[in-house]
Amino acid sequence: MSVEAKTMEERQAALKGLGSSRKRVEDARFTQGKGNYVDDIKMPDMLFGDFVRSQHAHARVLSIDTSAALALPGVVAVLTAKDLEPLGLHWMPTLAGDKQMVLADGKVLFQGQEVAFVIAEDRYIAADATDLVVVKYEELPVLVDPFKAELDDAPILREDIADATEGAHGPRRHPNHIFTWEQGEKESTEAILSSAPVVAEEMVYYHRTHPCPLETCGAVASMDKVNGKLTLWGTFQAPHVVRTVASLLSGIAEHNIRVVSPDIGGGFGNKVGVYPGYVCAIVASIVTGQPVKWVEDRMENLTSTAFARDYWMQGKIAATAEGKILGLWCHTTADHGAFDACADPTKYPAGFMNICTGSYDIPTAYLAVDGIYTNKAPGGVAYRCSFRVTEAAYFIERMIEVLAIRLNMDAAELRSINFIGKDQFPYHSALGWEYDSGDYHTAWNKALEAVDYKGLRAEQSAQVAKFKAGETRSLMGIGLCHFTEIVGAGPVKNCDILGMGMFDSCEIRIHPTGSAIARLGTISQGQGHATTFAQILATEIGIPADDITIEEGDTDTAPYGLGTYGSRSTPVAGAATAMAGRKIRAKAQMIAAYLLEVHDNDVEWEVDRFIVKGAPERFKTMKEIAFASYTQAIPGVEPGLEAVSYYDPPNMTYPFGAYICVMDIDVDTGVAGIRSFYALDDCGTRINPMIIEGQVHGGLTEALAIALGQEIAYDELGNVKTGSLMDFFIPTSWETPNYQTDFTETPSPHHPIGAKGVGESPNVGGVPAFSNAINDAFKPFGLTHTQMPHDHWRIWKTANELGLHD
Amino acid sequence: MILQDEVLVPLDRDTVFAALNDPEILKQSIPGCEELIKHSDTEMEATVVVKFGPVKASFGSNVELDPSAGPAQFSLSGSGDAGVAGFAKGGAKVDLTEQEGGTLLNYEVNIDIGGKLAQIGSRLVEGTSKRLAKKFFTNFEQALLNRHA
Repeated sequence: MSVEAKTMEERQAALKGLGSSRKRVEDARFTQGKGNYVDDIKMPDMLFGDFVRSQHAHARVLSIDTSAALALPGVVAVLTAKDLEPLGLHWMPTLAGDKQMVLADGKVLFQGQEVAFVIAEDRYIAADATDLVVVKYEELPVLVDPFKAELDDAPILREDIADATEGAHGPRRHPNHIFTWEQGEKESTEAILSSAPVVAEEMVYYHRTHPCPLETCGAVASMDKVNGKLTLWGTFQAPHVVRTVASLLSGIAEHNIRVVSPDIGGGFGNKVGVYPGYVCAIVASIVTGQPVKWVEDRMENLTSTAFARDYWMQGKIAATAEGKILGLWCHTTADHGAFDACADPTKYPAGFMNICTGSYDIPTAYLAVDGIYTNKAPGGVAYRCSFRVTEAAYFIERMIEVLAIRLNMDAAELRSINFIGKDQFPYHSALGWEYDSGDYHTAWNKALEAVDYKGLRAEQSAQVAKFKAGETRSLMGIGLCHFTEIVGAGPVKNCDILGMGMFDSCEIRIHPTGSAIARLGTISQGQGHATTFAQILATEIGIPADDITIEEGDTDTAPYGLGTYGSRSTPVAGAATAMAGRKIRAKAQMIAAYLLEVHDNDVEWEVDRFIVKGAPERFKTMKEIAFASYTQAIPGVEPGLEAVSYYDPPNMTYPFGAYICVMDIDVDTGVAGIRSFYALDDCGTRINPMIIEGQVHGGLTEALAIALGQEIAYDELGNVKTGSLMDFFIPTSWETPNYQTDFTETPSPHHPIGAKGVGESPNVGGVPAFSNAINDAFKPFGLTHTQMPHDHWRIWKTANELGLHD
Repeated sequence: MILQDEVLVPLDRDTVFAALNDPEILKQSIPGCEELIKHSDTEMEATVVVKFGPVKASFGSNVELDPSAGPAQFSLSGSGDAGVAGFAKGGAKVDLTEQEGGTLLNYEVNIDIGGKLAQIGSRLVEGTSKRLAKKFFTNFEQALLNRHA
């Protein structure tokens, strides 16, 4: 047989397992326009829903007149809160322990809020009919500034819970206050701040933005009144959770609900939450007995489904005169909008914000977060990051820069002397996390050498001298960042969604001819799961990745899982995959031993087969074993070759990275040109280097967008000023630079294959690197900190305020 | 949003001031005005269709005129509701100064815009509003000249 002629290396390569830059199997259909997205689903007699939305940020709803809309030919029904109330569905629970109006119940609390749901035979008729629904409002004072939420004259937003002094996360001190969350040691941190030789202080704002996936949110609900089964296709990052929530809300038994996430055109956190559109589509299908489709348009996506960030982080950092950090203090005012609808997969209202000590060995720290209601859209999702990790990373990486200025010290050196040392892992941080592994100095030094950091600083000084001499109008900024993430939600002890533990799962079936199908509880939104999970399995069970089908997203067939976000798929479902693979291998070992007529312990694993110890010429390949498992009666062994694993990770994983951005800024136009961007990522064991590189490129480009202009801005009336792609910045090839990627590899000690997750690292680390470059460029002229987003106008304004246009 | 400009109308101040209170002239002058009903000397109701970029909005508006400082000054305030497209509210103040060749109108318009109209971007709304304000006075002058021709 030709197989036997192959060397072990050739057999290894043929598997396309761990470490192989295997091409994405998904791309054949995506690049040919053959993907199957929610809006591609077409069913006989399907109806279409569209929302009447509030034009006001805060108003009482006096009346809703649907008669003209109902009179339009083709309109089937118009739902209002009054229609949903008898079903108990006019409000719904949020993932953060609050509740949210499905349709306006007496008042509206943000611009774009869902007021009525029009159902029509045609998408265009539905849209036309929304125009005919007459809603009378009485305008109320609008609250957009979270710092004014608790003033005496502040309007009370949530009248439904105005008197509740206790919320889902403890005491509330004001009707517009949601929670206070405290971590660490308040008194000892404040004592250090009052006695430390050096204290730097800054207000760091991470502005409100939006994940803005290419495909907007949508769903198709189909209630089959004959068999009582509800099928729901939707843009869901967590289909199993949606099924459970749908069952709890509707009272339909969970086995009668099938939730399917088809191909998803990007999620980035936007598709974790449950939205009124899903509920209305389900109710509409139950009422009409026909399938109902709801797909939001771009403006609806930007203005009503989950925003991200909006954290005002007041920071104080204490150090010795030599730069050794002694303590960190942070008070965050978190603008949650009108309902606390964070897609928070942890037990804590600010998620992983307490990773804000970053990569540094900080002995004492204190963090407090106050959640506040305002007249803005609800949400607060982890836009390409673990929940609140990118806020935390931005905060500490700005505070380090601010401290370096205060100390008059090089910021690269300041980082280096404060890094957690390689021998300190597992490291217990002052705010309560156990970092699994890391080697920050090696990564940092590699990065500094790769970009010739000293050379860059010398060039920057020369550039400043030329600027001051009037020889140039361009400034150079060097943006440093060393970030540590916390991903892979996560251990059931500290992560859940609505009480559901954040484990994940994998089920494998090996077919008689030696190929396989594996199903997981996660769902790809472009991450390439069908490619990478097959690679994990290929290495574990010796079946080529090309012979393994990966299936996700159909709750009728896939094992229960908590979905894909927070870089959790590889750390959790990837671990479940490896563990299920090992169960397969354990059974295969017994079969191989039987076939080879030796004791179980006398065979050992070798790439794609079991060999007799000391006699590698006697072996059974996985293919032969699979066939035998279905064709032979093996004493004491059940027929077939299948396994299931549910994996509850013992700890989070802690990917890290070193990023350095060099920018050239035109002082007169405010245009920031990115000269170079070096990104070193350490995500533990690397499954597919090509996919990692793709993830890093994508994440860095989203980081660039956020740092350099992407925002959801409100005016004082509560109007969204950036409600379309005309004003909401999405980088094109014009703005996107070439990235230089690099890596170190520090495996996670507790993960079965040592992988840590990577999809979000570039966003978490990229935003501070871009922002630090802008701030760094103006540092020689006295700037300590300027707020994001750094669009051309704001950069120009910074230059102007520093007197650089005089 | 505040819009300011001036325009010279080659007619005397009393004629111009009277025209500012004349529903027929106003109807001809307001761009996109489909209907204008005078409820009293100071109260009017109008239906105005405006196209802001991709959004076509039909405003049902209530306007209150204030001629008390005439003929040197004329002001109005009002609000308009365009359903799902949004709403607008605000006012305008016009100073009428007699000068050689006619009457100089200095106007200051103050508008708050909400809803979808505000979302499509202030640049678009501001540009359109400026153009409409200019168009109003061009139409106004034309309507007056036609009448007094």
